[in-house]
Amino acid sequence: MSEPVFVMKKNELEAGKVRKFDLCGNAIAVYNLNGTFYATQDNCTHATASLSEGDIVDDECIACPVHDGTFHIPTGQPMSFPCEHAIRTYKVIDQGDAVMVDFDQEADEAADAI
Amino acid sequence: MCTANDGSPVRLKRRPIAESVANLDRLMDLDKGRMSRDLFWDRDIYEQELERIFARCWLFVGHESQIPKAGDYVSTYMGEDNVLIVRQKDGSIKGFLNTCPHRGNKVCFADLGNARQFVCNYHGWAFGIDGGLKGMHASEAYEETGMDKAEHGLHPVAHIDSYRGLIFATLDPQAPTLAEYLGDMRHYLDAIFDMDEGGTEFVGGCVKSVIQCNWKYASENFVGDILHAGWTHDSGAKAMVGGSVAEVHKFPDQSYQVNFNGHGWEFNQDIVGNCATLGEKDLLKYLYVLQPKVAERHDDFRSRMIGAISSCTLFPNTSFLPGQNTFRTWHPRGPGQIELHTWTFVNKNAPQEIKDKWRKGTMMTFSPSGVFEMDDGENWEYSTRSNAGYVTRQQDLYLGLGQNSKLDTDLPGNVYRGQINEANQRAFYQRWLDLMKSESWKKVPQRDIPKMKEAL
Amino acid sequence: MSAKQQLKEVPVDRDTLHKVEQFLYREARLLDNERWDDWLALMAEDIHYWMPTMENRRRADKNGAYAVDRGALYNDNLLDLTRRITRFKQPTAWAEDPATRHAHVVSGVEVYQGDKADEFVVHSSFVNYRSRVEKDNDLLVGRREDVLRADGDSFKLARRKIIITQSVLMAKNLNTFL
Repeated sequence: MSEPVFVMKKNELEAGKVRKFDLCGNAIAVYNLNGTFYATQDNCTHATASLSEGDIVDDECIACPVHDGTFHIPTGQPMSFPCEHAIRTYKVIDQGDAVMVDFDQEADEAADAI
Repeated sequence: MCTANDGSPVRLKRRPIAESVANLDRLMDLDKGRMSRDLFWDRDIYEQELERIFARCWLFVGHESQIPKAGDYVSTYMGEDNVLIVRQKDGSIKGFLNTCPHRGNKVCFADLGNARQFVCNYHGWAFGIDGGLKGMHASEAYEETGMDKAEHGLHPVAHIDSYRGLIFATLDPQAPTLAEYLGDMRHYLDAIFDMDEGGTEFVGGCVKSVIQCNWKYASENFVGDILHAGWTHDSGAKAMVGGSVAEVHKFPDQSYQVNFNGHGWEFNQDIVGNCATLGEKDLLKYLYVLQPKVAERHDDFRSRMIGAISSCTLFPNTSFLPGQNTFRTWHPRGPGQIELHTWTFVNKNAPQEIKDKWRKGTMMTFSPSGVFEMDDGENWEYSTRSNAGYVTRQQDLYLGLGQNSKLDTDLPGNVYRGQINEANQRAFYQRWLDLMKSESWKKVPQRDIPKMKEAL
Repeated sequence: MSAKQQLKEVPVDRDTLHKVEQFLYREARLLDNERWDDWLALMAEDIHYWMPTMENRRRADKNGAYAVDRGALYNDNLLDLTRRITRFKQPTAWAEDPATRHAHVVSGVEVYQGDKADEFVVHSSFVNYRSRVEKDNDLLVGRREDVLRADGDSFKLARRKIIITQSVLMAKNLNTFL
């Protein structure tokens, strides 16, 4: 297990929103779903697109801004056409008012789903 | 790539203007009230209308109230061009040709809705609501060829603007501004679309139908033909109000025709004459209560127009009826067919029951099942069709009612005494001829000098 | 359709089914023959006669193709229907003179028990073909969902919803009932 990396303060991202961060050579998308934070790869697995430019839909999914295909944020699973391959998730560690990410681990929900 | 008036590039290709149909001047002698039937039958004239009227003028494309949120869109037509009108994230409105720049497929098949993007069903070319190309199916293949996505977005309309909630667009980068185009007619539009600070909204959606007639029969009917109402619509009046259509020709000093740049409005000063045909006392009461407030906001003269016996056409093919509150566009589909799109407009601040009564009342009177509109279709269809006859179409038509009825007045626009008149129709066709003869907007004669200031 | 919804469609006995069919066929014949007053007499006092216009929306759009507060070609109570018939009977209804020839074909009649003991939910499909003057022909096809109410040995029409296939009406007017 590697050291968790600081991403941002919790109050920097409103509920229902997503933001991109470039950390440790990884482009990641960080999401605030009703106060719980998640992180996934930012690149869509279908075609060249940045998921953080998309919209959070159906409470827990991210819709890719290019073709509107969706992924389930907590597990990274593809939910609708044309998405077929899961996106990589990253475990988010809650540390007080900070959001930290462990780049070596998947999110708990994703690990259960595989 | 062509350029707008200010030199900015517009991603909309236009061919050089084609050669005109010969000798257009033979088509009318308006001083004598004479017109040729070729206007309603000839295919070459129709094709030239697509080029010099519909691809040049400001055309109605929607009401602001139809697209309140970012991503809201309506699919509509400019002439025979299908366009998408889309609300942007910053609140502005953009319009695009509804065709994929790849192989041409229609990009959006719905009439209206809310979208995060528009994706072509053929190869997955995906466009943002701003029209930009965001990606394609198997996009890596395109990336290898070095294609620049910025050059392959949806084609935007040349200009888009709105007046009092009514959105207009033009496909001609050289077009004058919307304010210049509407000119003095804006003075009168305020009587209906600016009765109070809330303005208007469309309610109830769009009712669409097809009529086998030339588009100009419909436009000219609404631009100045109240004469027909007393005869064509007798059955509708008997059905809704149990009596005949009001004999407005008996009181020519109480009504007017006004036109400007080919737009025309014929109207009475009776406040509620059109509204009365909906057979709903609550609507009359609503207008009577509103009228003095409109008088204060604008003036007494305009306040008496708010539901009066009247009709208006905004050149070339958008019309409405105050009082019945129907708003419509007659989309050309060849010289012998139109697709009619109608909506109901109401004041935003009106109580919900009043809005519901208008939505219902418009359908009852002016829709394909409307007791008034039902008799119009046949008149226009057979006026058009009779010209299949080779000798028939060589005979002249007459449009000479109300010659020498122009009034000398400070009122904006060209004003004529008495709504039973054909002055507006003559002005409509004069504008038509001017546009058909001109190779560009710069060459179109400006016959009507505005009395209103340009800036709003 | 859920099991609960399926249970709701309780079929009626043969005699009632036959009577409803005959009612609908007779109604169609009255319309074919412009027997407006006889047709109007089939309506209940509280009739809602509704033919919404169809919008083309994406399947995912929860607004659906039509709704009661959106466009409609008929959205009538008894007074509205009466007014339309008043027009049909005017000698000045020019678009009805010469008369239009109509054929109303009704098919696929299904009858189920309604919410009340004396009411029935009736589904049917229809074809309306009309011919005006020389060769002005129009075709309209769709479905109806009715609520019929027992009235002595017959019925009254209490509610009708007419769903047509066309989103653009391919005719200049609609000069009959469906």
